[in-house]
Amino acid sequence: MKYQPLYPAYGELPDAPLAMPKQVLERPQQPRIGLLQRALFALSWR
Amino acid sequence: MKTSSIARVCLVTLALGASGGGAYVFFASATAGGASWLDWARTALLAITLFWLVLGTSFGLVGSLLPAGRKPAAMAASPRGRTAILMPVYNEDPQASFARIAAMNRDLVRLGAESRFDFIILSDTTRDAVAAEEADWFARLLDEPGAAGRVYYRRRERNIGRKAGNIEDFVSRSGAAYDYALILDADSLMSGETIVEMAQRMDENSRLGLLQTVPRVIAARSFFGRCMQFSAGCFSPHFARGAALLQGDEGPYWGHNAIVRMSAFAACCGLPELSGPAPHGGHILSHDYVEAALLARGGWQVHVDPRLGGSFEEGPDNLIEYAKRDRRWCQGNLQHRRILGAPRLLWWSRFTLLQGIMAYLASPLWLALLLTSLLASVMPQRVFADSVMLEAEAGLMALAIAVFSILVLPKLLIVLRGLLDGRNKRFGGTGAVLISVLVEIAFSTVMAPVMLVLQTRAIAQTLLGTDGGWPATARDGSRVTLSEGFAASWWIVALGISAIGVTAVLTFDSLVWVLPVALPLLLAPFLIAFSSAPLAKRSWLLGTPESLDPPRVVRTYLEVFEAWSKTGVNHFAQGWQLKDAARVSA
Repeated sequence: MKYQPLYPAYGELPDAPLAMPKQVLERPQQPRIGLLQRALFALSWR
Repeated sequence: MKTSSIARVCLVTLALGASGGGAYVFFASATAGGASWLDWARTALLAITLFWLVLGTSFGLVGSLLPAGRKPAAMAASPRGRTAILMPVYNEDPQASFARIAAMNRDLVRLGAESRFDFIILSDTTRDAVAAEEADWFARLLDEPGAAGRVYYRRRERNIGRKAGNIEDFVSRSGAAYDYALILDADSLMSGETIVEMAQRMDENSRLGLLQTVPRVIAARSFFGRCMQFSAGCFSPHFARGAALLQGDEGPYWGHNAIVRMSAFAACCGLPELSGPAPHGGHILSHDYVEAALLARGGWQVHVDPRLGGSFEEGPDNLIEYAKRDRRWCQGNLQHRRILGAPRLLWWSRFTLLQGIMAYLASPLWLALLLTSLLASVMPQRVFADSVMLEAEAGLMALAIAVFSILVLPKLLIVLRGLLDGRNKRFGGTGAVLISVLVEIAFSTVMAPVMLVLQTRAIAQTLLGTDGGWPATARDGSRVTLSEGFAASWWIVALGISAIGVTAVLTFDSLVWVLPVALPLLLAPFLIAFSSAPLAKRSWLLGTPESLDPPRVVRTYLEVFEAWSKTGVNHFAQGWQLKDAARVSA
């Protein structure tokens, strides 16, 4: 599909899309309850 | 075991040993009469700062001792792959930027290789008046030889993701038409030979994802700019060679004057927004380090080659512009702490990100060391014999001399090497180089305390959540007057006065340790104003091969710029500032 530039373009740039998938840089945050559960679990062991 | 792994183990061990030894000497000297919690704290601070200092200077040490290595033999005239030469611009002087493109294009035409290279100007300019100038100068660019169908310009309406987003926009729309992208800055200039060689290296090594050059600074006019230019020309290639030994296939990317493999870049370098608001979250500011780490994570080689000449950039000509740029870099590097734990990054990539963070964190740590040392000197005096006191003073003095020597030694070795291999001749001879190196060392030593408080302030601003944004850097070499210097640095002067006053009142004997740091702070306005004064263009002092005998592509650029100046009106050259652009476009 030919894209319509949203901006002034002088000379038509090649219509040759290349996907740039978003990379994963952050680990999903652990819910706070997880910490609590882990602490309770550790205490119950004692 | 790979050479880079052996080098990493050796140099990190050396830095650990030296910082541990230094910390031991410091602790033994400072606690001659018994240790307090303050002594433990400042010993820890010294150990951390010394580690990064020794590691950084060891790159220069190794680089000055390593053989330069032979450049690969010249290959066929034209590379096989097609390269998009991308120049992102953002409210910069279009006449200068586009004249650089004209010069690079003429060089490629001269080599008969132009058919494999397209130039694409990716404008993120926000001021309509500047955009109108860009359109005017672009029309001039189209008259250049072979430009038809090879030179493009486009402007985004919204500059989402800043420079990284600008390039991503191009790759996602037109990237598949090219094998490689040579990424430039608005002030980048590269010779045709280097551009062709870089594309050929990509042709020859299908695992190479990114190849970075070590750009030389050109066109500096002021004393400040010439110091930076000399340092980049004389020292940087050696430091980069030493660093490259450790980096191996996980080298750096500095955001410009580098070529990337389009498919690898597209597959690995789509940057997400970090969670949370700016300055800690949002768009990744210093995207280049992250992109290098992501390419390495994807299994691609990332190389830096200091042997590749013909790669140039311009730099700030006064301390105020330098500090503005440094403020942005500081914010970007500190943001990398969010990425240190990113999944599957290689350990060396994490270490490189940490090194970038420490490049800025070192300043407040040095400052904390000074403050804790002052605090320790006003603590209740411990009683011990004069002989022990003298021994302790001697130990501290020896340590101070050792730290200074660590900083200076690689630079002096580089001069010695230049004498032996004849490189000094290109800088105006060994005498000129030696004097220039001594001037550079003196200037950087005097400026160090000023830089230290500037970087500490930048870190405080970042951590307090003040978003620095990305204002365009003026590289017009405008001279700073004394009153402008004072307006920018009155708070630094106040800090210097306070430091001397407090020390004189509380612990007069410690003044000898405080004055070397506090005096340059008092002189900050004079240093800023004096160092912005121009230096003769072809002067042997702080001369570089490029300033003494400009390379062909630099001469071509100046010719084009001059020719265009005769027939066009450049508002930037007439002292036009962005605020004027804002007024016109409003």
